[in-house]
Amino acid sequence: MKFIVSSTYLLKQLQVLGGVINSSNTLPILDNFLFDIDNNALTVSASDLETTMSSTLDIESDSKGSVAIPARLLLDTLKTFPEQPLTFTVEENNTVEISSNHGKYALAYADGAEFPKAVALEDPSSTTIAGHILATAISKTIFAAGNDDLRPVMSGVFFQFSTDNLTFVATDAHKLVKYTREDVSASQVAEFIMPKKPLTLLKGILSSSEENVTIDYNDSNAKFTFENTVLICRLIDGKYPNYEAVIPKENPNKLSIDRTQFLNSVKRVSIFSNKTTHQIRLKIAGAELNISAEDIDYSNKAEERLTCDYQGDDMQIGFNSRFLTEMLNNLSATDVQLEMSMPNRAGILTPIDGLDEGEHVTMLVMPVMLNS
Amino acid sequence: MLNDLPIRKIIHVDMDAFYASVEQLDNPELIGKPLAVGGSGTRGVVSAASYEARKFGVRSAISGVKARRLCPELIFVPPRFDRYKEISKKIRAIFLDYTDLVEPLSLDEAYLDVTENKKGNPSASLIAEEIRTRIFNEVGLTASAGISVNKFVAKIASDYNKPNGQKTVNPEEVLDFLEQLDIRKFYGIGKVTAEKMYQKGIYTGLDLKNKSLEFLEKNFGKSGTHYYYIVRGIHNSEVKPNRIRKSLAAERTFNKNLSSEVFLLEKLEHIAEEVSKRLTRSKVAGKTVTLKIKYSDFTLQTRSKTLPYFISDKSVVLETAKELLYQEKLNNSVRLLGISLSNLNTEKKIKKMEQKSVSAQLKINF
Repeated sequence: MKFIVSSTYLLKQLQVLGGVINSSNTLPILDNFLFDIDNNALTVSASDLETTMSSTLDIESDSKGSVAIPARLLLDTLKTFPEQPLTFTVEENNTVEISSNHGKYALAYADGAEFPKAVALEDPSSTTIAGHILATAISKTIFAAGNDDLRPVMSGVFFQFSTDNLTFVATDAHKLVKYTREDVSASQVAEFIMPKKPLTLLKGILSSSEENVTIDYNDSNAKFTFENTVLICRLIDGKYPNYEAVIPKENPNKLSIDRTQFLNSVKRVSIFSNKTTHQIRLKIAGAELNISAEDIDYSNKAEERLTCDYQGDDMQIGFNSRFLTEMLNNLSATDVQLEMSMPNRAGILTPIDGLDEGEHVTMLVMPVMLNS
Repeated sequence: MLNDLPIRKIIHVDMDAFYASVEQLDNPELIGKPLAVGGSGTRGVVSAASYEARKFGVRSAISGVKARRLCPELIFVPPRFDRYKEISKKIRAIFLDYTDLVEPLSLDEAYLDVTENKKGNPSASLIAEEIRTRIFNEVGLTASAGISVNKFVAKIASDYNKPNGQKTVNPEEVLDFLEQLDIRKFYGIGKVTAEKMYQKGIYTGLDLKNKSLEFLEKNFGKSGTHYYYIVRGIHNSEVKPNRIRKSLAAERTFNKNLSSEVFLLEKLEHIAEEVSKRLTRSKVAGKTVTLKIKYSDFTLQTRSKTLPYFISDKSVVLETAKELLYQEKLNNSVRLLGISLSNLNTEKKIKKMEQKSVSAQLKINF
């Protein structure tokens, strides 16, 4: 078995696929890339059992067969080559020999049949969405997903498809993000929870992609197909919490403010906040927003005043500054609105401008109770 | 996530009828018999009762006379605190094999934080099981345990399968557990508060949870805030290996009610000496001296004075106590006198710790 491929072309694909491979695997075969050669088509796959990603490359070959090649070793080697054709030859003595302009390198391989097969989706439903829209939906939500092993459903992003729109939700019970696109829709209603790892991979690959992504899904798995790549992953099993019920509808106190100004003030003031609670205090009266923080242990204190547009009763509310910073950073609007009702109820952060037609973002953050 | 307080694994270990069990251990003749530790005399108080005696309604803190009436066969044993302390030490040594985060509440109760433990055992329930087995094998006494995510729930849970049992309240069960809990079982809600809650229609944790923070604060003051959080499973108080003392006291009940100031003064001197001795032993000093007077009709009076400096010396304690005694005429003959010192020079540390635990990150109520 033998094939010829461009070194940089192969490296580019392998670097993307390498993201799937865990740094330590219980199953040693998962430290490999699976090379599947079918004449002029090479399909390379990587897997962690939960997620399997494959890319198909054009090569020069007239053979068929499959081998599993150590991923780390191959990547380290390819990185060092300038662009050139490489010849891969599978030898009799269980090694793959790579010939370059410089010399020869032999890698031990495993039989391709040992590599776990990706699941085939039975009776899938299907939806197509532009790559950059999916990437935006992921990056707007994924930061809010939790890490709690005890509530696995909250460690993923909830995909909620309907014939009117697509909605993406993530929460860790302290903050929640709901991202809706009305300019795309699915042929039928569907809901599933995607784990974080495959989403992070997709976000990276698709961020600047104009290509369409086809999403196939059933109750247990989802498959993302785009360009020459297929990603299949297992879904998180369980029922997603009823997030609609916790988004408060009546929020009489509305604060509108320049996002960058607000973000910078929060960041500066939070340097002076307690190192474990990261608590900051917002005091709003009239058209003035007062942001303050204090670390009693070290007698550190900071206070800033910003002018804002405010409708409602004067109030004081505490937040974890890290949540606010994350959320404000994630938005791109010039101005944002923070809606509140009481110091012990959630605050709702929404962008005022900068959204596409049919695009909606709602962020919810739970306050910290102030002790005075 | 860093900003998320990690879920703690707290065990509350409570020895079963500790003093009485120790007596039964040391004197096998007492096994299976109703037993009360405490004074049997006219003024005696039961400090612990064996399970056999509890069947008759004999409980700690009732008077010896009443106990005798409830259970005529009741055997009274005088307390031997040194022996209890000795055994308590052995038990504490077992705790320390698992974690250094042990907070003793008294001789027979302690909180353990086993989130990170020396055995590397991820299951707090199994650790509790092991600790109880070891106490039984090495000391010969039975203990009960409650296991949960905070001290408050663990403490309630330890009562659930008492004696010689344990109860785990898993993180996902905490809210349900608290919701269905009778309001009287909440640690910190006694008879009086429970009565008040009943009047407001609060009978269970769920009723309590349905009340707003404003409502609870209006009706129960600062404790209201506390109730608001605990019923939501928020109780961030850490297991503090060195419990900081807030006050220190000594008191005496007299065999006969006293009305003569001369006799009272003599007793006061003894009490002051005891307080001073305890202060020196604990290496603390205090600013506020409180004199406690219980009259023959059981009415209680306290008088206190705060000095501008810390004191621990017997003569100064006595001087201040005397001043408080003379401050007002006694309105009856006296049954009990006590002196306590508070505002100790450890307070500063307490305040700092409290302030930290007061601010609470709220969660979305899914």
